[in-house]
Amino acid sequence: MNKNFIAKIEGHGNLTVDWDKDKVKLNIFEGERLFEGILVGRTAEEMHWITPRICGVCPVAHGMASLRAVEDALDIKVNETTRQLRDLMLCGQMIQSHALHLFFLSLPDYLGIDRGTELAQKNPAAFKQALALKEVSDEIVQVVGGRNVHPTTTAIGGFHKIPTKAQLKKLLKKLAETATAAQDTVKLCLSLDYPELKVDLKLAALVNDKIIAVSSNNISGRMESLVKNYKKDIEEDIRDYSTAKFGKYKGEETLVGALARLAIYGDHSYDDKLDFANPFYNNPAQAIEIKIYHHNAQAIVEKLLAGDLDSRIIPPSKDASLIGIGAVEAPRGGLYHEVQLDKDNIITEANIITPTVQNLTSIETSARALLEQNKGRSRKELERLLNMLVRAYDPCITCSVH
Amino acid sequence: MIKNRPKVAIYDFTDCEGCEVKLISLREKLLALEKRLNIIDWRLGQEKKESGPFDLTIIEGTPITPDEVASLKKLRQESKILIGLGACACLGGIPAIMPQPDREKWYKRIYGEKYRPRGIDALPLTAYAEIDFLIHGCPVDGDEVVRVVEELLAGRKPQYRGYSVCFECKQANNPCRIIEGKPCLGPITQGGCGAVCVSGGSPCYGCFGLREEANIKGLTDILENLTDKKEIERYFSMFLSRTIKNE
Repeated sequence: MNKNFIAKIEGHGNLTVDWDKDKVKLNIFEGERLFEGILVGRTAEEMHWITPRICGVCPVAHGMASLRAVEDALDIKVNETTRQLRDLMLCGQMIQSHALHLFFLSLPDYLGIDRGTELAQKNPAAFKQALALKEVSDEIVQVVGGRNVHPTTTAIGGFHKIPTKAQLKKLLKKLAETATAAQDTVKLCLSLDYPELKVDLKLAALVNDKIIAVSSNNISGRMESLVKNYKKDIEEDIRDYSTAKFGKYKGEETLVGALARLAIYGDHSYDDKLDFANPFYNNPAQAIEIKIYHHNAQAIVEKLLAGDLDSRIIPPSKDASLIGIGAVEAPRGGLYHEVQLDKDNIITEANIITPTVQNLTSIETSARALLEQNKGRSRKELERLLNMLVRAYDPCITCSVH
Repeated sequence: MIKNRPKVAIYDFTDCEGCEVKLISLREKLLALEKRLNIIDWRLGQEKKESGPFDLTIIEGTPITPDEVASLKKLRQESKILIGLGACACLGGIPAIMPQPDREKWYKRIYGEKYRPRGIDALPLTAYAEIDFLIHGCPVDGDEVVRVVEELLAGRKPQYRGYSVCFECKQANNPCRIIEGKPCLGPITQGGCGAVCVSGGSPCYGCFGLREEANIKGLTDILENLTDKKEIERYFSMFLSRTIKNE
């Protein structure tokens, strides 16, 4: 009953290791919440209210995927202000999630501390950065979304309420003040020693209406598929040791999230410092993304301040298809929501594939590679490395068992 | 009575962990608060894990699986004070929208015929154990958590808010949704949230739980003038499906 769950990951899981065969099973214990069933019978407007509750670490991403799915179904094209505010909120979401994961869950492994707040003693400068990034990212989502966890202002076709220019100016000031915290976090994460590991995986990320995939050993060759075929291309299977499904992209173990995004659409300025075949490098990749999305947030706020803010909500089209897909790069990778509505806007069908579902399969593959490539080490040392590896992936088990 | 630097455990059952995210978002306030506590078991926050007894245990999430129910009962035995954190723990939360009899059908549709389900039902902690105080909200308000823990540290029993969301909604200068003809559960819902949802343009769905002496019948009568029975049911089932039965 009192299972030893892996500490400092979102949700409840642990590993079963077959030491003779170097095989690792990732057991998932979360209770089934059956969100796809919960949604059926609710209104389209309730979807982006309900789905953020799948995950308190990336609620903005879930809400956005639902809004995109419903707006696709109702044939709504939102206005430019809405688009920019949503992009801004997603920048905040990326920084919120990455900063939380790095400073409170993952970096303690590398800094010789346990609880994230111990950083206040161990490395006060880094702890100040952590708090500054947490604060500014919470504030972005608060200002745009009305609350830092589970937004209240979002609506189909726009926002119930949009921020004032005075609020945006204040936010811009705070962004300017925290730019060095983002840069210093990159420096800190690039200065750490990551365990060696080489895994042959697919890395995948969304680019507009396509999923782009590269090989972890050669990021220059690209494969692509259409988001609208997501359900066929991302196959999910059921395991008797897990309440989450395990996904594969086009039949292959795939890593999604920060490291995959940098391989696929980063500016490659850090490529010599990253190892795309080593999932531990997802940690420095998250730090680099904090800097990128911090910079993007500033640029969006500047653009918003330069023009007029359009608070209009776009109504549904009359002859809409009532079937829609919403795809978002969530902090942990590609997130897909699909919805079907009846003529009264009641949900009749819903499907959700989360990033962690895609990562679970490759966590097992990487864990196996880690055992095969570290033959001389003690079991205790290997267990520690395996837990670090799972944490480096930043799995969101609560997302995966939606 | 809670002593100085009490031994604290923080647990989570099935949920989104957004209430624990709110704890971390307290930042400097969390740092100040945890200096007064001895957190000896917190899976999400640390590897350090000591066994009970605990002076104070905070539980987030709804116990859906038999393992979680057993863990809750054990924690009750081991804890002087047991507190629920957030709507899943206090009300069953969003997962409780799924009626228990429908679970089987959805297990099959979502996981397939061969899947062996683990969950029983999404119920509040109070369905299985006596809980000393409920910190409501989806998610909780960080300052409310600080208030409750500080009350306990001061040797006082924390009190519930004796007023509804409407009181805070007025303070926030929001126009009344019901007067504007839009459904809202603010009148029967306990305050403490600062009317954050209505301020953002969303309805109140009652995630802070019922206020004392909530006039459910009175509100239902008013809502029936605004909308149909199905929509009223949807409002009441968002967070209150396990609180209000067949109103």
